[in-house]
Amino acid sequence: MAGDKKPETEKAEKRFSRRAFVVGSGTALAGGALTAVSGTTAMAAQGTKKNAIDYPLSTKYLVYDSKHCAGCLSCMMACSMVHEGATSLSLARIQVHRAVLNQYPQDIVQNICRQCPEPLCVDNCPTGACHVSAENGNVRLIDQEKCIGCQTCMRSCPYSPHRPIWNPVTKKATKCDLCVDTPYYNKKGGPDGTQACVEICPANALAVVDKLPDQADNRGYDRNLQPPPKKAPPFGAFPKGKPKAKTEAPKAPAN
Amino acid sequence: MATPGFGGKILLVNLSTKEIRALDSEKYEMYGGGHGTATALFWEFCVAPGDWDLQDAFNPKNMVALMTGAMAGTATPAASRTSVSGLSPQCYPVQWFCHSNFGGAFATMMKFAGWDGVAVIGKAESPVYINIVDDKVTLEDAKALWGLDSWKTQEEIWKRTGVRFGEEWWHLDGGYSVQRPQIVTTGPAGTNMTRVASLIHGGGSGAGQGGFGGVFGSKNLKAVAVIGTGSIKIADPKGLKNAREWWDKTWPRAGGGFGGFGPASVSSCCAGCGIPRMCHNRDRTYSMDSDDCAESTWYSLVDHQTPTEINQKGTDICQQLSLNAMETCFMGPMSFPTDHNKDFPIQPKIPAYTALGWYMKKMYDMGIIGPGTKYDTSPLPMDAFKSEQFMEIYGIALANRIGIGDLLAEGTARFAEKLGRTDDFNTLCRLTMWGYQDHWSMPGVEWAYGNLLDSRDINNHDMSVGRKRGITCEQFVNILAERTLGKDPFWFDYTWEGDRAYKTGIYSESTAKWVAWHQHYWNYYKESVGFCDWGYSQLYNQAHAQGYGHTPEIEPKYLNAVTGRNHTFQDGLEIGRRAWNLKRAIFVLQGRHRKMENFTGYYYRPGASYCGYASELPIYDGTKWDWQNCRELYFTREGVDTFKTLFYKEEGWNPDSGYPTRKTLEDLNMKYAADHLQAKDKLG
Repeated sequence: MAGDKKPETEKAEKRFSRRAFVVGSGTALAGGALTAVSGTTAMAAQGTKKNAIDYPLSTKYLVYDSKHCAGCLSCMMACSMVHEGATSLSLARIQVHRAVLNQYPQDIVQNICRQCPEPLCVDNCPTGACHVSAENGNVRLIDQEKCIGCQTCMRSCPYSPHRPIWNPVTKKATKCDLCVDTPYYNKKGGPDGTQACVEICPANALAVVDKLPDQADNRGYDRNLQPPPKKAPPFGAFPKGKPKAKTEAPKAPAN
Repeated sequence: MATPGFGGKILLVNLSTKEIRALDSEKYEMYGGGHGTATALFWEFCVAPGDWDLQDAFNPKNMVALMTGAMAGTATPAASRTSVSGLSPQCYPVQWFCHSNFGGAFATMMKFAGWDGVAVIGKAESPVYINIVDDKVTLEDAKALWGLDSWKTQEEIWKRTGVRFGEEWWHLDGGYSVQRPQIVTTGPAGTNMTRVASLIHGGGSGAGQGGFGGVFGSKNLKAVAVIGTGSIKIADPKGLKNAREWWDKTWPRAGGGFGGFGPASVSSCCAGCGIPRMCHNRDRTYSMDSDDCAESTWYSLVDHQTPTEINQKGTDICQQLSLNAMETCFMGPMSFPTDHNKDFPIQPKIPAYTALGWYMKKMYDMGIIGPGTKYDTSPLPMDAFKSEQFMEIYGIALANRIGIGDLLAEGTARFAEKLGRTDDFNTLCRLTMWGYQDHWSMPGVEWAYGNLLDSRDINNHDMSVGRKRGITCEQFVNILAERTLGKDPFWFDYTWEGDRAYKTGIYSESTAKWVAWHQHYWNYYKESVGFCDWGYSQLYNQAHAQGYGHTPEIEPKYLNAVTGRNHTFQDGLEIGRRAWNLKRAIFVLQGRHRKMENFTGYYYRPGASYCGYASELPIYDGTKWDWQNCRELYFTREGVDTFKTLFYKEEGWNPDSGYPTRKTLEDLNMKYAADHLQAKDKLG
């Protein structure tokens, strides 16, 4: 993932103008409390925008279903585990917060990196560490070798809590890479692979899509991901059918 | 360097001296974490000093230990429970060393703060709560929180941080978090030292049995709050992912259980879970963040359809006041008429699961309490029994020990004793041997025997061996024999009459081995590792191609991936056996003896098995297996005596006394326990 530069040329339809983004941000600012865009942060970030570059769109986006999230934090633990080899809520690049005593649906907030069309984290990074990775579907990544720990990306993010996160051990920032750089993952990650958070979610509350979500507010990302409802079994019911005694049982994998 | 999966240290807080210490977890790993480690800690700090009689749970010398296991915070499904241990004020007649546990995210957050648990001894001069922020531990003033309910207490502690959780990063000493502290607390039922108080975490993750909310109250301890920004090392992350995927694929989520609560409800679950039950609720179908168990029907009256909105409100009240729902609810006789009604002349139907609310009303209807009696029922508006008003006043009076509530706060067993009606344990109350309500314990005798040998309703839903569709009885018992690794199908023979009951049935050596397996399993895998009762064990699963449940393969697979060990399933059972024997030694020091381990009278009478959620059980008639309805199953005293001898021998205990022997304890590397018992003249 090291060494990518902001690509100069991409197809026009894969681009998203800065003007369009700023309009979108403004709408997000006016959104509900859960959108939680910090006005101060957003304005400061926009004020420090320094590059007049049209960035190619990411080919994949993580979307979520806040109304059906189980609040189990499995996605956060899976995220940190495949990236860091250890589970941690603070090192997770997706942040789910459960406020168990709040009324539904204000009881769970999911904060995901939007792979912004106009990525201020990329735009403001002084070293090029935060970049658009052409070889990884234009996902916005942070090159750990180039990161100097200045936290500009964190301050530039127009959303609160900011999506780039701080690793206090390495003293560097990281962000959601759609599992591009996952040395502890048992699968191929990245935009063309799978994502640990999506995979582990027991509630079908996360998915990856390839179409740019509506940027007007959170509704483009926060959507109903549920399959058509099935009739719930009665208390203590067991499924129909019987065991096939002659069938070979799947073998357990060696760890 | 901590073993992967463990935080590496245990927090010991002495509220009397304000001493805060970190203990090295590694020393206690041989007990398995969770309840096993808590048992070892209790021994070290409460038993070994030998300076009290181990009788009073409200004595400041008692310990309440909140412990996690290796799997908490690792995203292993259904494995993030917090174990609660200490002397129990609810147990009757002796306040036995006991345990409970609760779900949610408390255990997970403890681990991320770097702690495998917190053990609290002593009593604070004035109300405090323990505040854990990574390595930093402080005792905070809780005078202003003392009278608050469990929900308001949590909200007030969150407010004290001044952070907009979920909306901004909170900069702590060790790192950053958007999470709010996870808190376990108790409401008025605990601070007023009732014997029926639960610990509540979040909206409705509760540890009810044991009455540990009252132990918090006795220590002037209002809550424990924890926030952690650290991480938990996983020995083999890919292996853990592989194991979870294998589990998911091999035992599809549709393979039984609840599958969520349907379209009317939006479910949630504990940290890292993923089993189908999705126990908690985000909307108010069963109240805020509550499970759908006893608390959801706290004010469901036997002969009255409680309106849903009142039911929901009742659930909230029960959780906020921190009343043990199962003990204090209004459950009474179920509608299972049988020929045995004549044995229960007071009631028209067989009593089952008779809780405090129902029993109190029964006493009122019978003229034992109320107007003109020694026991005034004030402030309960008995004329408005089937009303929301009654429900609220009942809860408040009980939790605050107001009027008749002071008596009710002692729990059903002690309430009946005060009324001079302990015979009701055999008829009206159906209290099991240590003062707990009967649950589903019969005819599943392993559950009943577990209650007898432990100190509470063991509440093991996992061992239901009732009739299964599409499989013969013989196939079924052979699967269980294979999956337990016991290789003896007669473990599951529920024959209860005639000689065969002694040869292969419920008084046989086979049953003794099955009950021992059961105790060892849950002492380690459930109560110490933290696996949830709704997910583990699982010996049979109809959705699996061969009818196999995920036990015994998945437990070591998860554990080894997290810890890097190479433990077998049997290694885990052995750790469970160690913890079980150490607990037995504590019981013995508290006064437990073979002579005490007798079922309450109704177990020996027709009607002992009232309904059975699984009343059709495997029976071997000497030539073949078949399912038979065991609703008529009851014990004989001679048979239970035979069972006890076999069980004690199986465990390596003296069959005359039930005391562990030196050999047994030393074989388990617990010479210190043998020496202590010998010094007290209680070695088997």
